[in-house]
Amino acid sequence: MRILTLASRNVSRNWQRSLVTMLAMAFACLIMIFFASLMEGMIQGSERSVVSMNMGDIQIHAQGYRDDPDLYTRIDSADELVTRLQQQGYMASSRIYGYGLLAANMASSGVHLRGIDLKQEMTVTELYQHVGYGQWLVEDDSNGVVLGKKLAATLGVDLGDELVFVGQSADGYMANDLFRVRGILKSVSDGIDRMGMFMPMPTLRQLLVIPEGAHEIVVIRGDRTADLVAETAKVGGLVEGLIEEGAAGLEVKNWKQLMPVIARMIETADVQIMIMLVIFYIAVATVVLNAMLMNVFERIHEFGIMKALGVSPWQLLALVFAETFILTFIAASVGLAGGWWVSDYYRIHGIDLSSMASSISYGGIAFDPLWYAAITTEALAYPVIFLFVIAALAVIYPAVKAALLSPVKAIYYR
Amino acid sequence: MRTLCFLLAIFLFLPAVTAEALSDKERTTHILNRVDDLWRGDSSYAVVTMRVKTEHYTRTMRMEGWSKGKEKTLFRVLEPLREKGAMTLKSENHIYSYLPKTDRTIRLTSGMMMGSWMGSHLTNDDLVKEARLEEDYEASISFEGVRDGLDIIEFTLTPKPDAPVVWGKLLLTILADGYAPLLERYFDEDMALARTFTFTDMKLLSGKMRPALLRVVPADKPDEYTEFIYEQLELNIEVSDAMFTKASLKRR
Amino acid sequence: MNLNKLAWRNIWRRKRRTLITAFSIGFGVMLAVTFTGSGDYTYTNMIDTGASMGMGHVTVEPVGYHLKPTLDKRLHGVEMLREKIVALEGVSDATVRITGQAMFASARKSVGGAFIAVDPAFESEENNLLIRSIVEGSVFSDRAGRGIVIGSRLAKKLQVKIGKKVVYTTTDAEGEIVSNIARVTGIFTTGENTIDGIMALLPIASVQKTLSYAPDEATVIAVVIKDQRHAEGMRDKVAALPEAEAADVLTWKESQPDLAAVIAFDKAGNYISQLLVGLLIAVGILNTMLMSVLERTREFGVMMAVGMSPKVLFKLVMVESFWLSIVGLILGIIITTPWYYFLYNYGIDFSGAFGTDFSYGGVLVDPVFKARLFKESMMAILGTLFMLALLAGLYPAWRAGRVPPVESLKTI
Repeated sequence: MRILTLASRNVSRNWQRSLVTMLAMAFACLIMIFFASLMEGMIQGSERSVVSMNMGDIQIHAQGYRDDPDLYTRIDSADELVTRLQQQGYMASSRIYGYGLLAANMASSGVHLRGIDLKQEMTVTELYQHVGYGQWLVEDDSNGVVLGKKLAATLGVDLGDELVFVGQSADGYMANDLFRVRGILKSVSDGIDRMGMFMPMPTLRQLLVIPEGAHEIVVIRGDRTADLVAETAKVGGLVEGLIEEGAAGLEVKNWKQLMPVIARMIETADVQIMIMLVIFYIAVATVVLNAMLMNVFERIHEFGIMKALGVSPWQLLALVFAETFILTFIAASVGLAGGWWVSDYYRIHGIDLSSMASSISYGGIAFDPLWYAAITTEALAYPVIFLFVIAALAVIYPAVKAALLSPVKAIYYR
Repeated sequence: MRTLCFLLAIFLFLPAVTAEALSDKERTTHILNRVDDLWRGDSSYAVVTMRVKTEHYTRTMRMEGWSKGKEKTLFRVLEPLREKGAMTLKSENHIYSYLPKTDRTIRLTSGMMMGSWMGSHLTNDDLVKEARLEEDYEASISFEGVRDGLDIIEFTLTPKPDAPVVWGKLLLTILADGYAPLLERYFDEDMALARTFTFTDMKLLSGKMRPALLRVVPADKPDEYTEFIYEQLELNIEVSDAMFTKASLKRR
Repeated sequence: MNLNKLAWRNIWRRKRRTLITAFSIGFGVMLAVTFTGSGDYTYTNMIDTGASMGMGHVTVEPVGYHLKPTLDKRLHGVEMLREKIVALEGVSDATVRITGQAMFASARKSVGGAFIAVDPAFESEENNLLIRSIVEGSVFSDRAGRGIVIGSRLAKKLQVKIGKKVVYTTTDAEGEIVSNIARVTGIFTTGENTIDGIMALLPIASVQKTLSYAPDEATVIAVVIKDQRHAEGMRDKVAALPEAEAADVLTWKESQPDLAAVIAFDKAGNYISQLLVGLLIAVGILNTMLMSVLERTREFGVMMAVGMSPKVLFKLVMVESFWLSIVGLILGIIITTPWYYFLYNYGIDFSGAFGTDFSYGGVLVDPVFKARLFKESMMAILGTLFMLALLAGLYPAWRAGRVPPVESLKTI
């Protein structure tokens, strides 16, 4: 193709000008990609904090448990349900809960007990990574417990201190035992911070005499990108099939249904990010527009000479677009590579905001102070496409003008 | 335990000796005062079986209890083995719980007051408040005569305006002859029945015929109940004050 | 030759280019004003709302109360201290309160919660969010009476209505379990579930009596100040009072770390976005100036040949950058003013998207997107953009001064 050869020669002949134009465009592209990944990362991070800290994607409870968390409102066939869910490619873990009084030294406080299936829970949530002091639970240390941050402060206990628990077991007798502080969590959510006491599942089963069943099953989708609503329905169907043989109904809800306020907040963040992206694109557009305009307008004189030499308006137009294409292509490649590289760096390392605030929690959910970028196809593709569109739009006017000007006028165009 | 003490109080009830020349109000006060005085001024020892039935469990527990005056009560579990030795001490406004399994004593906080006592239908708060019946309520005789074939006296206890009680009123029915209690009903502020205490099974205890069975039924769960059955009762025995201290809990 | 004049003429030789560049600077101004302004407005709003939730902008409390809030810790001589604080410059209000945990019970149910004991004479809709959010009934008028104002969710759990009895039980200064009775005079709905589910307002003198506190003892003096940005300064001023010697004085950042963290996080996000936009604009300016220098290579060559020093050329291009950014900033002010006026007075109503009970960091947020720019922020925006523009001009100016004369004349 002669025009392309000519165009590339033009580009390399005016290499300084081309380079400046391309660099500006590449930088704009890089910034767009980086910004989009940061924003995507923020949304994913928020969702991840909500879901993987504690909530899971989907939760199963016995009907009525959430309104009135009664010790006896249990999911009877919890183990079977967990196994079935795992066969279907989900990750699932059951939990049991209880209430009581925890005393240490002279202080005491009401506590919300949680018995955790240690092996399964690790596949579902990341609470175990959120220990501020000491260590997470282990099977061998059956009386070592992990406390919420504010609870530990209220009781005035430190690692290794003794705790006395009194409560009522499921068979009506008094439940009491001695425990030791094994770990203290970082800030998770207000409820856990103030009242959370975590222990291995067998310990709590023994303490409260709950030989079987569970109060809650937390489920995580095998495929993070699968549609949450559809997956919820699928789990619902699975559960339905299992409890056909009688027993009370189960309630299957995803985190958006369980925490509508947070879900709505993340959705509105989506809208805000869209607004930010539009603003960004406008800023990029002015830069690219200016760069391309300059690139063409400043050479109308040159185009005039070409016209005088017998180049047709169509050929000229094609030439300008070909040049633009080459410039944009190179700029986009560089921008894409650079943007990808920067985003990937921050995808792995994150922007550390912990110097500004040690723990960030809103709506009862604690968020990671490391802000990670997230790379999606959209975050990579849209800026590149946008770059081409804007560049093409930007040169239409000067290119047409150059094509239509009479050679003499063009040569003297200033 | 409030009921237990109340029960003790009722047992100690002396049949009205010379109540004829008194006005209604004075008579009421007179009767209730004697209840209080007798109950408070003396000490007691009792062995009681508690039976609790709820939707989820039925359990039986045997325990012994001491009381001295109005403010001091101590209970120790005898059976079942699993809880043997567990103690509850009520002294003034405090409730201490001694746990043999952990060998620790815990003082219940304000947050635990509304919790169930020993898995029964009574709350820890009932334990604290039992001694304050007279302080907290205004009593009057609201019915006297024959009802359902029994000659009875019915007292209405209305909480004083500044009394920290949640109830709207209490209705206490006793037999006019011998003043044995029959029925005690608790109403909420909308005057809907909240729970009923019934006293039955007259038996000779500590030299007198007294109702040996007390049953508590919550109004919203008519199938559930807590029963207290008296096996033994001794009055005016020697009990030292030291027994009702936190320090003594561990030693027993 | 006057360098200024020359530069001014130079930048207008290419009107279109200059205007587009100026527009991108102006756009930057508008953007920065919008985001910084909405930040200034929202944060101030959140901080002020947070302050009206009980602790004020600056909190005076007993030593150690913050970490372990038990009622045996208390302040003495609070009335004196309060008067001293109110007299301080910049304080708009100071209220004495007792905050604590309590068990609330009705005949139906008992629920754990928290109370703020207040003196109705000093509380108003302005300094107390709970009073501002009353939906039914009103606040009690007697500081020694038996009124209680409770959250709507708490009322629902207890199954009580206006006029009904609530018994509150708590642990007093000596560790005794104490309880008292109150009748519901008002019910509030803030929209924040936790607050509506556990909080109650009680009359302070009754609570003092219940807890066996002396009449001038309390746990908190909540200080509301006129400008939230001066919280640190106010804390130091209050802490310096001789009456406050035996007390801890905290700012809202310390008493409400969650809120502080949310704001810090949001600010960080905002600044990163603005920084990236700023970088883009700077690259735009760099591009323009570099282009204009490159296309004038020959011209500069001639100028050098006739005896202009590279230094002068450097200066010339810098002055061009200077004028370009001035034009951009002026353009920015022109397009931003009506926009800011609109945001300042009307705002964009997001309540359709957010709902009216939108809370963030435990603090309710106004769903209307408004902007209020602090003077300092305005100066910072203009200053930063101006500096960016000049920085972007540095490299092109250096290039201009570096052109070798003979070679440059050879190019077309």
